[in-house]
Amino acid sequence: MRTVARKIADWIGRLGEVWVEGQVAQLSRRGGAATVFLTLRDPAADLSVPVTCHRDVAERPGLELSEGSRVIVRARPDYYVARGSFSLRATEIRAVGLGELLARIERIRQLLAAEGLFDAVRKRPLPFAPAVVGVITGRDSAAERDVLVTARRRWPAVRFEMFNCAVQGPQAAANVIDGLRRLDANPAVEVIVIARGGGSVEDLLPFSDEGLVRAIAATRTPVVTAVGHETDTTLVDHVADVRAATPTDAAHRIVPEIGEQRRLVEGLRGRARHLLTARLEQQERWLESVRTRPVLASPDRLLHGRADDVLALRTRARRTLVHRVEGAERDLEHARARVAALSPAATLERGYAVVQRADGALVRDPAEVADGELLRVRVAGGRLPVRVDRGATSEPIALEDPA
Amino acid sequence: MTNTPDAEPTTTYEQAREELADVVRRLEAGGLTREESLALWERGEELAKLCQHWLDRARERLAAAAPADGADQD
Repeated sequence: MRTVARKIADWIGRLGEVWVEGQVAQLSRRGGAATVFLTLRDPAADLSVPVTCHRDVAERPGLELSEGSRVIVRARPDYYVARGSFSLRATEIRAVGLGELLARIERIRQLLAAEGLFDAVRKRPLPFAPAVVGVITGRDSAAERDVLVTARRRWPAVRFEMFNCAVQGPQAAANVIDGLRRLDANPAVEVIVIARGGGSVEDLLPFSDEGLVRAIAATRTPVVTAVGHETDTTLVDHVADVRAATPTDAAHRIVPEIGEQRRLVEGLRGRARHLLTARLEQQERWLESVRTRPVLASPDRLLHGRADDVLALRTRARRTLVHRVEGAERDLEHARARVAALSPAATLERGYAVVQRADGALVRDPAEVADGELLRVRVAGGRLPVRVDRGATSEPIALEDPA
Repeated sequence: MTNTPDAEPTTTYEQAREELADVVRRLEAGGLTREESLALWERGEELAKLCQHWLDRARERLAAAAPADGADQD
């Protein structure tokens, strides 16, 4: 047993000096003890290592060692044979300076920015009036009160799903990540607020934790951050969907103001009603104008015109008819006169006679007729049948006008 | 045209209005037979009533929709 323990101690003792960086998770200084014990946590991974050192190392002037502080330690791995325990034996402890902390945050910021975690396209819109708001804050903190009171005043119907946890110190980042996962898993939660009041750069350090930044980027629920004062910028502010300047400002971002909304709705309602009424009135005027148009208002006019037409046509027809009848009468008169002029009656009247043979042919030469032939003689008074008798020839009748 | 008395007309206001405007235009243009113009006029009357019906309905709905301006209810 002691051989093994000594061999392990020898082997570990040969490892030599290293520089490590971590956060002081636990610190125990006993009264007059010469050795100070502390536990050093890795800033990212969940592991810690016990560190021992002489009181002079821990209490060096200018070094303010407390739980939560970031330190760089020069140490030698050490195996304490009497207890079989491993530790780092520190020979020098340096606090990580402010400038160095900020430079480190800046490096992480650049890394995450290069990955696109802060891109504007990743920002999700906040719900308009969420029913349930998840809130991650320190218990009974001013930040908590500011968010709750302001949000309730603006939108009384809002409900909160609270997650209270440490918001500074070595556990803060892990706590906030835990809260974020729980609230994100709750389907009722529509938006998550991470709020914390102002503090020193060291106090706000957990809010620049790379793991927390990635956890915010991974949520399905939109996240609003309100960490520190307006001038403090932590990395969570870059990754958040909305960065509020203060917890009160966060309350303004997550819920609308009820009175303002009511006025807005009233205004819109009034405008809609006004527009609709105006449009309706315009339509009514149009309809009225159409209905009073002569063609629609007095349909008898459609027929009036027709009656006039009929009358005119009738008159025209009558006139035409009279005209034609008169023309016909005139024609008849002319014909009659011509007939009268051409008639042989007048000649007969003067004593001439027309002699015709039985077939109606006019006799123009005595040689045309045979003796004893029956002829018809027409005189003014009428017809007279005669028979030719050549034996009774006497002196020829003078063909002169007998008158 | 289907003439279902008192039933909800299937012609929309816009359709009726457009047709009415057309009827008036044709009547005013003239050149129609007596029978044609009478039939057109009857159609015009029918359409005008339809338009009126829609406008009256719209007014009723507007009046029924909400209290007049200023009535702040909560």
